[in-house]
Amino acid sequence: MTRDRTIGAAPGLTRRSLIGTGAATLGLAGLARPGFAQTRDVALQLSWLHSVQFGGSYIARDRGYWAKEGLDVTLLPGGPNAPVEPPVVAGNALVGISAADYTAAAVAQGAPFRIIGVAMQKNPFAIASLPGNPVEVPKDLEGKRIGMALANMPVLEALCTLNGVALTAIEVVPTQYDAAPLLAGQVDCLLCWATDLPVAMAMEDIEAVTMLMADHGYALHSQTYIATEESLVSRRAELVALMRGEIAGWTDYAADPAAAARLTVRMFPDSGLDLATQVMQAERQVPLMFSPLTDAQGFGWFTPETVAANIETLALLGRDVGPELWDRSILEELHGA
Amino acid sequence: MNAPVTRRGTHPAARIVVRAGPVAWQVLSVAGLLVAWEALARLNAGSYVLAGPVAVTRYGVEHAGLLAHAAGITLANAAWGFLWGNLAAVALAAAILLVPRLERCVVALSLVVFCLPLVATGPILRVALGPGNGPQIALAALAVHYTTLLALLVGLRAVPRSWLDLVESYGRGAGAQLLHIRAMAALPYLAAGLRIAVPAAILGAMVGEFTGAERGLGVLTIRAMRALDVDATWAIALIAAGIAIVAYRAFGALLGFVTDPPALLLAAPAPAIRRGRMRRAGELAVTILATLALWQGGMDALGLSPFFARRPGDVLAFLVTDAGAASHRAALAGAYGETLFYAVPGYLAGLALGAGLACAVVLAPGLATIVLPLAVALRSVPIVTTAPLLVLALGRGATGTITIVAVMIFFPTLVAALQGLRQAPGQVIDIFASYATGRWRTLALARVPAMLPAFFAAARMGVPAAILAATTAEWLATGRGIGGLMALTASTSGYNMLWSATALVALTATLAYALVARIERAVLRVYGPEQLAR
Repeated sequence: MTRDRTIGAAPGLTRRSLIGTGAATLGLAGLARPGFAQTRDVALQLSWLHSVQFGGSYIARDRGYWAKEGLDVTLLPGGPNAPVEPPVVAGNALVGISAADYTAAAVAQGAPFRIIGVAMQKNPFAIASLPGNPVEVPKDLEGKRIGMALANMPVLEALCTLNGVALTAIEVVPTQYDAAPLLAGQVDCLLCWATDLPVAMAMEDIEAVTMLMADHGYALHSQTYIATEESLVSRRAELVALMRGEIAGWTDYAADPAAAARLTVRMFPDSGLDLATQVMQAERQVPLMFSPLTDAQGFGWFTPETVAANIETLALLGRDVGPELWDRSILEELHGA
Repeated sequence: MNAPVTRRGTHPAARIVVRAGPVAWQVLSVAGLLVAWEALARLNAGSYVLAGPVAVTRYGVEHAGLLAHAAGITLANAAWGFLWGNLAAVALAAAILLVPRLERCVVALSLVVFCLPLVATGPILRVALGPGNGPQIALAALAVHYTTLLALLVGLRAVPRSWLDLVESYGRGAGAQLLHIRAMAALPYLAAGLRIAVPAAILGAMVGEFTGAERGLGVLTIRAMRALDVDATWAIALIAAGIAIVAYRAFGALLGFVTDPPALLLAAPAPAIRRGRMRRAGELAVTILATLALWQGGMDALGLSPFFARRPGDVLAFLVTDAGAASHRAALAGAYGETLFYAVPGYLAGLALGAGLACAVVLAPGLATIVLPLAVALRSVPIVTTAPLLVLALGRGATGTITIVAVMIFFPTLVAALQGLRQAPGQVIDIFASYATGRWRTLALARVPAMLPAFFAAARMGVPAAILAATTAEWLATGRGIGGLMALTASTSGYNMLWSATALVALTATLAYALVARIERAVLRVYGPEQLAR
């Protein structure tokens, strides 16, 4: 619990601060929530450090889309040693930003999660290479050295299986998550997100060749909103309000990604963000988040068909899940399907 | 209290020469290092891992405000962690001294807590302490309490038996001994311990930021590395190192006035305490039970969800009674073997390097002006920054990881060994000098024996440090071994495997520690009997 929110600080003891101290864990949730007239505190656990990757959420906060709903949303940053799932299970965060594979793994370990919305329709995983020795289709991977975290081996395996590429013909080099090994010639290509390392290279005037894995059969929802089954029952109104703000924020984001980038840099002056990088990242992220499907149905939407495709990819990753992992009821309430 | 110490008389003129020497050396060596660094950076310009002093300075000037703010936040967290961790160490050491029976159990528990992998503890601290600075401060405190405790325990015993007898003959008890003799004798050791703790606290605070912090040097490091911003990466690393060096020096100066070494001339041989097998087995059982109780009870008390905070029973089931237990054990053992393959040679190399450099510095004091700042800098530059550089220079094979481990070990060893070498009683050195004994013989016969208690304390401290360094390098750079396994399982919610690995790491550290302690007892029975007195 943060020190500035202790109950002992009597003058500041408002209902907000009481809920903020984790009233739910003290069993006081029922007492503290008699009506919806006043502002409620909830937290959204992000999956990484603050950046324009979460720009829609910043817009929702900045333009008062959540305040209008009577919600005060704390945005908790992630990091290299900050998995999203524990704070959501523990109730520190109402909603977490995860991805279908991580959520499936957590559910297999007993976490009661549901995916209630999908921010990235297309998975951002990509293979980045240099123009002199490019990887443009999966077959090009054969005979190449790929730099990646060993944790992502199942991802590479799935891509190979989907495209009939011989995994044994690829040399895997474990690397830290940065582009330096590619530029230093230690590897021929990198497994990374299309929206980060290639952008960093572009900022150094190195235009990388980026092969989006989603364009080669790797169907996996990313930047998914997860909540516990319990929250879906007992904190439904807050979930609906949170997602309504998200939808409004991300809709604005799509209309003007550069504005989202400017807001991000302004909101987090201590994060050392570079505006030009953030603008490019925001622009490259939009096509992953918006598709004919979301144009027709609204932000975050998914269908039985996209879910079925995800289940197939998850099976390749060794994750056995059913369609019940996805719960569209919150979105249906919002988009009026 | 005035320790009966005599110093070798030095002719004033000689003193001036000695004093002028280091300054010239320092200027020359710093200039040389800067030139070498810039050259190295320019040679490796295309590799995006090393920035030279010119580029780093430019970045620092352009982003002064950002860096100053981030450094202030990280430093504040490190300072709070430093304070709490050291206070805890002092309290534990005092408790052990008053109730010596507690020692094994307390030191073992402290060791276990110290070597808990960050991958396992980070998320728990974040959930337990919430957003803000809690986990950063907690990790900084965890990073310092153990080394200070060990240094203090050695120091509190570094007193001649006769002084204690004197206090007793006045009818005063253990409290008076602690206050008037042991505490004073421990000050130099505490000073050395605190100096070692400075870079550890800063590193702890930075790694704490990996658990989801808003701001700080650790946050900026992650961002800079992903953005290929080598100038920023090295500017941040150098700021962290610079703060550590300044704090290191400040502690040296502040505590300089207490570091007159006490003489240990009249140390009586330790009474041969032969503890029975039964008693040892009893202590071991108590320690294991206490660890398990703390594990289970701590998680229950904090109400941590069993989803990510697995209890001893879960680990037992996962490794022993589950259907897939055999394959779980095989996966764990495979990764474990890989880690030991890196950690053990790195540990030994680090100890040898630290002790060897300390001896070299004593033989040629001019070296200190180059070796010490470089050593502090090497230890202070966060491992997240140096790991990729070392891997680039030395390859992804064994050499890179072993070097990283050795770098993490050698600094505390150097500081402790140097402190120990200087503890050689003045009278002894005087006698050697009056017989015109050569430097080498004086070193071997007078100084090295005096160094041994501090060296072995460093060797014991090095055990968890070696494991931490190996697993951190595996986690951040190579992706292999038990560090890689833990990172993988943490990201895919494989918390049974994560906690099994954590338990194995803690067990290994405890056993390795016991092994070093056994060697230490055998050696100190001859060279430092006062350390064995209870």
